[in-house]
Amino acid sequence: MAVKKLWRCNVCNDIHYGIKGPEVCPTCGAKNAFMLIDYPEAKKVIIDRGDRLDQVDQLLEVWERFAEGKPFRLNPDAEFVKTLARGELENQRNHGLKYCPCRITTGNLEEDLDLICPCNFFIQPVYRETGECWCGLFVGRK
Amino acid sequence: MSEQGGRLIFFWGRECPHCAKLHPVVDEVSEELVKAGGQGITQLEVWHSDENAKLMRSYGDVLKRACGGSLGVPSLYNERTKKALCGMRTTKQQILDLAKE
Ligand code: SF4
Repeated sequence: MAVKKLWRCNVCNDIHYGIKGPEVCPTCGAKNAFMLIDYPEAKKVIIDRGDRLDQVDQLLEVWERFAEGKPFRLNPDAEFVKTLARGELENQRNHGLKYCPCRITTGNLEEDLDLICPCNFFIQPVYRETGECWCGLFVGRK
Repeated sequence: MSEQGGRLIFFWGRECPHCAKLHPVVDEVSEELVKAGGQGITQLEVWHSDENAKLMRSYGDVLKRACGGSLGVPSLYNERTKKALCGMRTTKQQILDLAKE
């Protein structure tokens, strides 16, 4: 797999992590504006600027938005969903990232990046069979 | 306590809802196994114990296969037969079979 790098829009300072920068900047609309940069530069641009998603309610909102217009929705069982949100925030505090509470890290970061919620659950056999993500956070629309 | 190397282990996570649902089933099977003169099921929480997580990783190959790709909970591993079960659809009968095989 090609190695991902950091890119900066030279018009509005959007930061992108990927194989190449987007052709059109999603924030300012500038074309072909993404330049390759290094980690210290990216860090200076974003440090302490992004929103903290460290409250249960914030996560719930982000998940609702993520499911909008998709073939799945957020599990309607509010307690179930809150348990998962609390687990992910706990994992973030103890293990650094919002890892899936229904799986465990392997210790290999590349592999573990696949466990950040929401994960790419469409490829999981359980999603193909039941229409739910492994944890049941996202379930099929009926 | 059952002896290391010959245990039937239930790996679970404290904030995993499917684990919470399977818990009473595991308790029930464990009790039945003990009543029948066998050993019970060892329950290990993996997100809040590095030691338990490490043990789970050491059985990673078998567990990943049972879980369909990654190390999932709830899962059960038989140290004697090196066989595993994984996921929310695990049934009481499957756990009994895993224990007795
Ligand atoms: S399986 Fe569900 S809860 Fe777990 S990381 Fe994926 S989307 Fe999140």
